Amino acid sequence: MRRYTLNVVFCLAAVALVALAQAGALDKYVLTIITFIGINCIFAVSLNLVNGYMGEFSCGHAGFMCVGAYVGSLLSVAFFTNSNLFGAALFPPQWAPFLFPVVLLGASLAAALFGLIVALPSFHTRDDYLAIITIAANYIIISIVENIDAIGGPRGFSGMKKTVNAMSDVADLPWMLIWTIFGFFVCVMTIYRLMTSTYGKGISAVCQNEVAAEIMGVNTNRVKIMAFMISSGLAGLAGALYAHVYGYVNAQAFNILKSTEGLVMVYLGGMGSISGVLMAAVAFTLLVEWLRFVIPWLNEVSHAAGLLPAGYEISQIWKWVIIPLILILLMQFRPEGFLGNRELTQVFPRLKRWITFK
Amino acid sequence: MLRVRNLKAAYGKIEALHGISFHAERGEIVTLIGANGAGKSTTLKALMRLTPPESASVTAGDMEFDGISILNMDAHRVVSDLKMTLVPEGRHIFGNLTVTENLQLAAWSRKKSNVDEDIRHIFDIFPRLAERAKQRSDTLSGGEQQMLAVGRALMTQCSVLLLDEPSMGLAPLIMYDMFRTLKKLNADGLTIIVVEQNARLALQVADRGYVLDTGEIIAEGSADELLKKPEIMAAYLGA
Repeated sequence: MRRYTLNVVFCLAAVALVALAQAGALDKYVLTIITFIGINCIFAVSLNLVNGYMGEFSCGHAGFMCVGAYVGSLLSVAFFTNSNLFGAALFPPQWAPFLFPVVLLGASLAAALFGLIVALPSFHTRDDYLAIITIAANYIIISIVENIDAIGGPRGFSGMKKTVNAMSDVADLPWMLIWTIFGFFVCVMTIYRLMTSTYGKGISAVCQNEVAAEIMGVNTNRVKIMAFMISSGLAGLAGALYAHVYGYVNAQAFNILKSTEGLVMVYLGGMGSISGVLMAAVAFTLLVEWLRFVIPWLNEVSHAAGLLPAGYEISQIWKWVIIPLILILLMQFRPEGFLGNRELTQVFPRLKRWITFK
Repeated sequence: MLRVRNLKAAYGKIEALHGISFHAERGEIVTLIGANGAGKSTTLKALMRLTPPESASVTAGDMEFDGISILNMDAHRVVSDLKMTLVPEGRHIFGNLTVTENLQLAAWSRKKSNVDEDIRHIFDIFPRLAERAKQRSDTLSGGEQQMLAVGRALMTQCSVLLLDEPSMGLAPLIMYDMFRTLKKLNADGLTIIVVEQNARLALQVADRGYVLDTGEIIAEGSADELLKKPEIMAAYLGA
């Protein structure tokens, strides 16, 4: 019975959330924040597979999200809408709720493929070198997208709202919340099942000691590339969801700042801990939203107190000072993050009475 | 069965092995002895097909296992297909896993049936490991870690075991225990190639030995012969 507690709790929470949204108890802003928390969870947990469990250092995770976002958007526009780019819709818009998983799958596969392209040459290197290569890959993908005029180039790409609207026409449900919950479940289950499998033990072995893994018969190259592809594929899933929630994508949304957000969430939660990273993703998303209110307030207060010269305003850009600062402070004072590489049930053993996790 | 011909290996531009030849037959214990930097570990890593930067790259010569060249084989294939594995210098156990998990992981490349049975068998060979079964392996003592490293290698169901300095950092009594165990495993059919600095100990259990010096084999023969050669004893065996 304990084996299913977590699943049951998750399902109940999901149903409750959707019901609340459907009843209109959550306003649009709160709903969007909840959806973004879900997307950030997918983004962070997938990055955790490479940076936490495998012990490599990927710095350009947002690049894969970008691939997923664009491929997902293009598929969605081509499938369900009449556009200048693709002409008439391939499928009637009423099919949108049923074919949307195909869009998500396509986006994930494209991102995983891009992950493979990055992994093949770069996994002959390690540590700092891999970090540099992944940053480069992040910039390469942004530059590619910005230079293809057909998909909007630097102006970005839109039209996905029509797909979401088409879904709402079929049934009036908070669709993007539902798909995000679905994506969250797929992502967490994939990583959890992977890490508790023999293959996952191979990933931990590679992290611990590559030579030892090799002489135990682990094909370290294949394990590393597989893990990297799964991780980038799930980032692509997060990207496709992100694009549909916004209804608009722009390559610059997936630059190094977004990758840094991912790193902050992983290191804040604890490398190699799914529950830790999930907690961190929730806390971090809320913190960033909270700053949206705090910064103007700080601005007003410091002006009222005469602390700032009249011409200077504290702008939202300060967010990008505060987020990296969190990373620095974290490394200084709690390098292992919230939970270290332990799960919640290992930190609080009493939880084991109700749930089993790991 | 295992035949090395004129093997040359280099770390970048620095050649570590200048063409060595040796062989090992099934059921033998063969030892490679010599001073620091003689190329003993390099030879074992080359046999395991480990790649740079961990190992030197082979520049000339050939290595054959049952008559088939293994030069183009990957390390994990050596383990899974040839049933040959290495107990590396410094043990390289998975410190964040428990003893049992270490042993389970070693069953990666083989059929998963009988894993529990084989773990019990390892615990029979090394009863100390049974006492420590649920303990994180980085909390074990040096001797216990060495036992775990050997046990983990045996879990791959290997028929050829390469050992790199198994006596390093062990107290004499534990060291003798380890070699007695190796002798027992050999009697059960395991082929062993052991690299040692403690030459006298290695030659006492080995059938044949090779003496390496700066990348060349300068003497070979049965273990008894080598033990009797006064000039070798004086130069390399510290007698």
